[in-house]
Amino acid sequence: MEGSNPLKSKIYTVSELNLEIRKNLESNYLDIWLEGEVSNFYFHDKKHMYFDLKDENSKIRVVMFHNNNKNLLFNIEEGLHILINGYVSVYEKRGEYQVVALDARPVGKGSLILAFEQLKEKLEKKGYFDRIHKKNIPILPNKIGIATSIGGAVIRDIISVLNRRFKNFHLIIRDVNVQGITSSDEICEAIDDLCQYGVDVIILARGGGSLEDLWAFNTEKLAEKIFDCPVPLISAVGHETDYTIADFVADKRAATPSVAGEIVILNKTEAVENLKETSKKIKNLIKSKIAILKKEFNFLTSRRILIKPETILNKFNQAAGELHIKLIENMERLIRTRGKILSDYRQLIYEKNIFKRIYIYKMAIKNIDIRIISDIKNYLTLKKSRLKIILENLQEKNPVAILERGFAIIYREKEDKNIKSIDEVKINQKVRIMLRDGILNARILKKIYKKLEIGFKNEN
Amino acid sequence: MKIEKMSFEESITKLEEIVKELEDENISLEESMEKFEMGIKLSSNCLKKLNEAEGKIEELTRSEDGKLVTRELDLEKENK
Repeated sequence: MEGSNPLKSKIYTVSELNLEIRKNLESNYLDIWLEGEVSNFYFHDKKHMYFDLKDENSKIRVVMFHNNNKNLLFNIEEGLHILINGYVSVYEKRGEYQVVALDARPVGKGSLILAFEQLKEKLEKKGYFDRIHKKNIPILPNKIGIATSIGGAVIRDIISVLNRRFKNFHLIIRDVNVQGITSSDEICEAIDDLCQYGVDVIILARGGGSLEDLWAFNTEKLAEKIFDCPVPLISAVGHETDYTIADFVADKRAATPSVAGEIVILNKTEAVENLKETSKKIKNLIKSKIAILKKEFNFLTSRRILIKPETILNKFNQAAGELHIKLIENMERLIRTRGKILSDYRQLIYEKNIFKRIYIYKMAIKNIDIRIISDIKNYLTLKKSRLKIILENLQEKNPVAILERGFAIIYREKEDKNIKSIDEVKINQKVRIMLRDGILNARILKKIYKKLEIGFKNEN
Repeated sequence: MKIEKMSFEESITKLEEIVKELEDENISLEESMEKFEMGIKLSSNCLKKLNEAEGKIEELTRSEDGKLVTRELDLEKENK
């Protein structure tokens, strides 16, 4: 490589080279405009912004310090196409370079529009515009608070509308700048003051203007203030076609300041008229109610019962008497007819000789009774006499009775069996002889066979 | 709630209710007399409220010691 001889060339230290590069770059790129797409966006502690700007082929590191980004209206975000103004800065220690951005603006649309869109989207996501948060505007506020410029035409428009609608309105004006850097903060403060003082409704009013003119009503701070405001709030900013963030967050948007005057309080004349109408209506209602009742009362009081009650009573009395007579008549007739039926039966009974028949049957039954009794008596007598015979017979056969008559019974010595024949004993056998009054122990001396004859005679 | 303590809105709403109730033919005379009386009271309460406001225009500012103060303004005259 020609001319590339280390002996002939200057040899840099790293520091020397970096220093030289820094001097070159920083003096050549002192004030540049750079356009590109944001990527790798990093918002460190919400202070310093670090991101790359890139095109199809290349990218470069960018830093935007807090001091420079704090007044940006829109948010730098991923993918946004922006144009920045700044300079190139080299960090010698690392041999790195980056662009320091002093200002940034969106490409394709204005910063304000972009900022408006971004804030609107953000607040919408947070639910700031939701119907649920909208408070009702009172129809008859005692005190109306308004934050506007006291020197403007707007306040006069509103007052003239109020005068038309409600002569004795009470308006509390809080004078604010409705344009300029401090405007938004002033309006926020005015809302606080009006709330603290105590009003029933607050109007934020401003005449028409450019997006920039109306910018005070498009800040996040004011949006939050309106959202947190405990008092119902009407925004009345610009013309009908102008929309601000305040319009979206407010409880009610008035297309123009004059309209706010109409919304904020009812029309007194109309209200009084309506009240009169209502009073008349309820009076008429009660009147007709009473009229109806009166008519009913008259109708009732015109009836005879209420005028001459005794005539009605007489009538009832008479009717009662008639009924009484009729009742007795009916009873008598009833008794008569029933009585006849009874006597008819009686006749029938006589005719059929029923009593006589009963007597005959009775007598017959009596005869039968007598016969049965005598039969039983005869039977019993018969049985009795037979019994007597049996008893007498039995008496005769009673062994004790026999002993009584002088007979004896002979038993064996050791058995209670009597001896009936001489064959049953032997000579010298001991026997027992039972007499009327005791027992004799005896011995058989002799046996003599002899047939006994009736009319037994003593042999000895 | 006592009628005197009712807001204008509440009174108006109640009044509308009463008109509806009175239009009902079935309510008793006693009841309708009560409603009627209340209706008249509500109506006059509303009228009272309509005239209650003071009818003035004031400016709210902070005094040097930071207190909220009001002073009457005469923008109306300027306007005419």
